[in-house]
Amino acid sequence: MQVTERSHKAQKVIDRLQKKLNRQMVLSLAGCVHCGMCTDSCHYVLANPDDPTYAPAYKADQIRKLFKRHVDWTGRVFPWWVKAKSVYSDEDLEELKDIVFGKCTNCRRCTLNCPMGVDFATANRMARGLLVSVGVMPEGVAVVSKDQWEIGNQMGVLKEEYLETLEWMDDELQDELGVRHSLIPVDKKGAEIMYTINPREIKYDPRTIADAAKVFTLAGVDWTMPSEGWDMTNFGLFSGDDDLGGTVAKRVYEKAAELGVKRVVISECGHGYRSTRCEGPNWGGVNIGFEMESAVITMLRYIKEGKIKVDRDRNSVPVTFHDSCNNARSCGLYEEPRELIHLVCTDFREMYPNRAENYCCTGGGGAMSMSEYTPRRLKSARIKADQLRATGAKIVITSCHNCVDGLSDLIKHYNLDMEVTQLVNLVANAVVIPEKIEVMEKPAAVVHTLKGFRILVIDDEPETRTYLSTVLEDNAADTIQATDGLEGIEIARKEQPDLITLDISMPQMDGGEVFARLREDPATRGIPVCIVTGKPELRKLIYDKPYRPPEGYLDKPVEEETLVRNMRKILELASGASKEAAETL
Amino acid sequence: MQESALLHFTAHRLQEISLVFMAVVYSIRLYWLFRFKAGGDRQPRTGRLTTSPIKGAIYSLGNIAMPWAMESTRTNIFFWAQFVIFHLGVTAAITLSFVIPYAPGILENPVIVWLFQIFIGAAFLVGCYRMIRRIAVPVMRAISTPDDYFSLGLLTVWFFFAGLAAPNDVSRGEGLLITFFILTAFFLVYVPFSKISHYLYYPFMRYYLGRSLGYRGVYPIQRSATPENG
Ligand code: SF4
Ligand code: SF4
Repeated sequence: MQVTERSHKAQKVIDRLQKKLNRQMVLSLAGCVHCGMCTDSCHYVLANPDDPTYAPAYKADQIRKLFKRHVDWTGRVFPWWVKAKSVYSDEDLEELKDIVFGKCTNCRRCTLNCPMGVDFATANRMARGLLVSVGVMPEGVAVVSKDQWEIGNQMGVLKEEYLETLEWMDDELQDELGVRHSLIPVDKKGAEIMYTINPREIKYDPRTIADAAKVFTLAGVDWTMPSEGWDMTNFGLFSGDDDLGGTVAKRVYEKAAELGVKRVVISECGHGYRSTRCEGPNWGGVNIGFEMESAVITMLRYIKEGKIKVDRDRNSVPVTFHDSCNNARSCGLYEEPRELIHLVCTDFREMYPNRAENYCCTGGGGAMSMSEYTPRRLKSARIKADQLRATGAKIVITSCHNCVDGLSDLIKHYNLDMEVTQLVNLVANAVVIPEKIEVMEKPAAVVHTLKGFRILVIDDEPETRTYLSTVLEDNAADTIQATDGLEGIEIARKEQPDLITLDISMPQMDGGEVFARLREDPATRGIPVCIVTGKPELRKLIYDKPYRPPEGYLDKPVEEETLVRNMRKILELASGASKEAAETL
Repeated sequence: MQESALLHFTAHRLQEISLVFMAVVYSIRLYWLFRFKAGGDRQPRTGRLTTSPIKGAIYSLGNIAMPWAMESTRTNIFFWAQFVIFHLGVTAAITLSFVIPYAPGILENPVIVWLFQIFIGAAFLVGCYRMIRRIAVPVMRAISTPDDYFSLGLLTVWFFFAGLAAPNDVSRGEGLLITFFILTAFFLVYVPFSKISHYLYYPFMRYYLGRSLGYRGVYPIQRSATPENG
């Protein structure tokens, strides 16, 4: 009898398969009758009609064969009879990776076209999760997942960058509305709404934040953006990693609970909406005590309630609407965007098929982060390009940031004369600005100087200690220096500084351990910590810990202006107006 | 004319043993299935308030009777029609396997015999077509297993003998009837281990999908009022 060795990773995949199965998954894996009716529902098939390996049932069978070999009945006894097959080598896993990541966007269109009700997209996500659990995944998926685990958002946006962008958009909006006080409140306790965004908005599309802020401001609602837990996207949906999914979703929920808001509003993002609104409570095993809704629903309500007035003539270019798969096929969000479009645009042209039957933008399922599959993705986008072209519209609206990128890419590739935009941009363009603007937001506490604050600098390098202390003292702060972690913890306990800057790489006790002890000790738990490190690869020493993340993070060498601005911002958020050095505008 | 002991055995005892066997295996199958925990939706409902998990589940279960509901059937009515014919044939052949031993009088009416033969004969033709499609279409070949071919072949041959056995006329020889009953018994014993067991899963699959999509406001599917090309 032939004994086949199984690689460590392949064995782990087999071991973990059982744990991933629930009743619905078992049914999807056991119940396919190989009728082939789902075949033409997949955009990959339509672009590759001669390649049967793109057929949903074929792709599903590559996962199903494992289930049949190890879980189901017949395949365990007569594997060849039902094409049951196990995985043995790392190459087998690579082959599976190519299918589950590179040939399916988890769009769920085939699910809706299967007479049996086989939910292949969910099975595909499960298979991704199995592979990710043994480290087999496209590099982009690994990088993005790591950033979301460690830094707290998909694009590795640091807190200072996030807060700076909000300040920048705040300034722009103040100029636009002619108002001279902060319009984008951060961490406002007891606000009615907490607005969460996609990190892409910080990196590439900050205008959408200003546009949303404009709508909230003119609607006169009490709202805030959080300093943590602001990323409503969730790579756990794409990678199939339920632990990541639950952790990321809980960051948003915990921040909302901490601020005591009534409602979390999710900016226009299909997978973010699905993850935060629909799947997060299931992944995280939590029940939510506040409402959550898409910004589309919020804006529609404001118009219907007369909180904002709009002039649709300002958006007269022909528009069409692309339904995000996650919004339409998994969360039932497809009528509200259309209602809103009719209120803010004059020339809407429906795309066919639409709503839950729409085709994927081809950038879904994390495809935009997997550059190795770009040629396949763009080839499969032909059907979407045809759909867009047939509308004759000049603008395609979509309520999803992934779709914005996916559609922009295919528009370029297929030379379509079109732009992509989101509803928030159109609403902000159509909104009528009243002569007098009433702002609900109470004036924010702003720290203009470091005077009166004591900052503990923990660093083993004398030059860095001296540099940091000198800069901070030049800006009127009092500083205390500690040459190693133990001394730093001791001083923190005794002196109760207002803020701690902490190096990670130190002899004896590294910054990760120091951070953990500071967070564990009730006497130091509340002191804000800003990591200042020259070794970003050691970040996991901090972010892997089950504590509230540090309030700030700076890379060495840090410029004077950046250091001071970050210290001010952290103190501002931590202390509000309670310090004498905190002035208000 | 009196039936032989062999025919009597295949039409009665063999069927009963096979049915009991099938029922036992199905019960174990269900027990196995229900040992897996069902996933649920913790989050509050989304989508249209006019739908609900119950409406979603009903829509989902009734889906197969509504060819307009899915794009895959809406745009391929021929496929849907042959699906209906095939499954009506299965129903007719199973019914026949009970009528012959337990209510043979029904088959004294020639119209009823013709009806059986029409349904079963049409299903036989669909079975032949399906086999050709499975062999000739590359995608179908790629997704087919030996079990798929065998199950389809088995049913098609079973239809053939069922159609010929429908008159229940032993005066022309018992061979057809005995073959039909042996095939039926084999079919009953084999199905729990083959793809044909999909009908056991079907109601659960459609129910769970429908319940979830109803809860999320996706089912019943809403389409634009002027659905060109879709
Ligand atoms: S339509 Fe459903 S049952 Fe038919 S091949 Fe596709 S997944 Fe399988
Ligand atoms: S989920 Fe979408 S991309 Fe994946 S096989 Fe089904 S239709 Fe194709």
